[in-house]
Amino acid sequence: MIGNKRAKKEGAPMKCQDTHILRDEKDTFSRQTVGAYFSCHLNTSQAMVEADSFLHLARPLGPALPGSQPTTAPLNVIIQPQAIFSILDHSLRRNTDSNTDNERVIGTLLGVRSEDGQEVEIRNCFAVGHTETAEQVEVDMDYQKQMLQFHLKANPKEVLVGWYATSAELNTFSALIQNFYGGQGDGTWPHPAVHLTVTTDAGKEIETRTYISAPVGVTADRAADSAAFTPVPHEIRYGEAEKSGLELIAGAKDDKDRTASVPTDIEALERQIEEVLGMLERVSKYVEAVIEEETPPSSALGQFLLNALALAPKVDPEDIERDFNNHIQDVLVVSYLANTIRTQIDLSNRLATAALTLGAGDGLGGGQTNGTGTEGRERGQRGGRGQRGGGGDRGDRGADRG
Amino acid sequence: MPGPTNTLLIEGSFEELADELAHYIDEIQKKQNPDSANTQAEIAPLLEKEQRDEALKKLVTTSEVLNTAPEKEFIAAYNLLVHLVRQSPNRDRFLPKICQNLSSPIKSSPINGPGLALTILTTIFNILPQDNDTRYHVFLAVLRVVRASSSFELLRPQLKSLDSWIAAWETDEEDQRKLYLEIANVAAEAGEDAQSYLYLLRALRTIPADEVSSKESQSLAVRALKSALNHPSHFDFQDLTSSDPIQALRKSDPDWYDLLEVFNAESLDDYNDFLESHDDFLPDAGLDASILHRKMRLLTLASLAASTPGRSLPYQHIARALQVPSEDVEMWVIDVIRAGLVEGKLSQLNQTFLIHRSTYRVFGEKQWKEVQGRLDTWRTSLMGVLEVVRTERIKVAAERERELRELEGRVNGGGGGGGMGRGMGGGRGGPKDFDMGMD
Repeated sequence: MIGNKRAKKEGAPMKCQDTHILRDEKDTFSRQTVGAYFSCHLNTSQAMVEADSFLHLARPLGPALPGSQPTTAPLNVIIQPQAIFSILDHSLRRNTDSNTDNERVIGTLLGVRSEDGQEVEIRNCFAVGHTETAEQVEVDMDYQKQMLQFHLKANPKEVLVGWYATSAELNTFSALIQNFYGGQGDGTWPHPAVHLTVTTDAGKEIETRTYISAPVGVTADRAADSAAFTPVPHEIRYGEAEKSGLELIAGAKDDKDRTASVPTDIEALERQIEEVLGMLERVSKYVEAVIEEETPPSSALGQFLLNALALAPKVDPEDIERDFNNHIQDVLVVSYLANTIRTQIDLSNRLATAALTLGAGDGLGGGQTNGTGTEGRERGQRGGRGQRGGGGDRGDRGADRG
Repeated sequence: MPGPTNTLLIEGSFEELADELAHYIDEIQKKQNPDSANTQAEIAPLLEKEQRDEALKKLVTTSEVLNTAPEKEFIAAYNLLVHLVRQSPNRDRFLPKICQNLSSPIKSSPINGPGLALTILTTIFNILPQDNDTRYHVFLAVLRVVRASSSFELLRPQLKSLDSWIAAWETDEEDQRKLYLEIANVAAEAGEDAQSYLYLLRALRTIPADEVSSKESQSLAVRALKSALNHPSHFDFQDLTSSDPIQALRKSDPDWYDLLEVFNAESLDDYNDFLESHDDFLPDAGLDASILHRKMRLLTLASLAASTPGRSLPYQHIARALQVPSEDVEMWVIDVIRAGLVEGKLSQLNQTFLIHRSTYRVFGEKQWKEVQGRLDTWRTSLMGVLEVVRTERIKVAAERERELRELEGRVNGGGGGGGMGRGMGGGRGGPKDFDMGMD
């Protein structure tokens, strides 16, 4: 371990949480929190992000890239859910029974930067061991370097973008680590390093925040171990497939045995129709309230509704039933045919193997007893070779002989 | 969900840091005016006597010179000052001076100056508690910098939190109006007419009902009206009509109000009548006659489409209502569709316009009823679909079960007799394989 920096602290740096948590309890908590986190995010992902009130108009002036002007353009961070999952997982596996009272864990964030550098996407991360005491912090930098190299080999498109910690608290150690990650050489220099904090307090909402940093202090010594963290907006972004997957996982969080079954297409359709009906119900209530003059009308909203409703298809229940039945019948025919073919193939395979055993010794059954032993063997071998040629052919021949 | 209380992390006692900053300020000042560089000496006795606020006052007063600090050191030095000020119980007394300094141009960095100033201003904004109304003044300073550097596009994504901020600061209506007007001005200078109008309207709404006849309210109302009329793609005048200060114009400026009425609900003929009776109104008021005329035609066509019962509109009708030659009708219809007021198809063969959807200029109870009716229809049809889907799901499940059972029965039965079955190996595992086939 290198990079053992000392830092004086004014107060107690961190409160040690009760570390004697039973394994099982912890496990349960983890799945609950992960599930709760995502189910909450699925519904109110926008609200979560905006709950913190801060202003972000310009980033601190960084060093200039070769051949370009230094910029103060604002920064936006996008987080992929898999990174959050790894962070939560790391937090659960932290060393709770040793003497070190590590409440938070840290790690390296990897991702991509947009060409103009205004958007950073966090895609991946890995844990980095560190120990904190009241006076000092140690970060396993050899490990971090090695690990980073491996990751860059495996994912050449991803670059180092910053680091994470599992505590919302920022302290002088954060500043130290931040300066290391944003530094020249091994750090993100000349880009700003992104610091992501994820809270993992049991029984509470998981909060995420992202920061970049600016220097403080007028002397070089001061600037080296201090930083002004600037909050930057972030967004947890996931694709359609990820969303449905997470919804499914989140669905199991209230179950005792932690299982959730995958719904079939038709069940999903049913659920979606129910959802749409729920939404219609809400809009109807509003419209009713407007007509009853309980709610002040908004003509813009009304116009919008009218436009949207103009697009709604007008369908008769009978038509739907007929179309649906036709479709179902088509599906059933296809599935029936598929099964027939499968049965056919299976049958022919069996015939082939049956012929093999027959040819080898005691021939029993149908038309094959008519032939001599040698013939049987020959046929058997041919059949064995031509298994994928299909047994229908062979069956016909057998019938001819009979 | 409060964030961390402190984002400025630096080690060292107040005295040490203040001394360092004073030294730094002296260094800069020496370059310009060697005689006055004695801040460090001045605050030293104050620090010894622990008169922190006095020392801070000195620092803040001299902090103007920081505007000439080199670009690279600017942020670090200002952050240190903010850090010191933050610790003081009289924080709110010092901040206005710092904001004022930051609003003035930063001499050392003409290109990145506004960016630097914004960085520090946002830091100050962010370290203040969320409900502290000093944030309001910091935000005004931010607006000043944004306006001076014409960088409205930076501010734009942040404006969505404005409502929650105003609620948290408990800003009174007077200050709200000031804020909205400032944003409207910044937006107008950046060429964002739509945004500018939006904030103008919000400013208008902050005027209490008993002050609508005041001079300020009047001029604001006329300004909002003018910007709405002059905007080439703004067609909704209902929100304006419903606001109190605009209603007050009916008494004070009847001409303006009449014009609004024409645009709100009436047709091209009425507009022409208005022009005849008010000869010099448009040029005097600074309104663009060509934009207004075009807009009126589009609106008239929209009304015409909305009031056509048969959903098909002959070209002649359009030509007559818009007072254009019939060969121009198609161009006008295309313009209306592009403005988003109407949707439909042009049939050149039949010389008619088939309307799919049209905008109602006045959205009254009748229209709300229509919305309700359509919602009901949709819901009933969706219920029907749901019913069908449900029964089908149950049916399919039952069907599958039955088929499975049948097949199983057949296979088991077939295995009992016939040479074929024995040839296959007496049906060992046979049914199982068929099961798999069914999946």
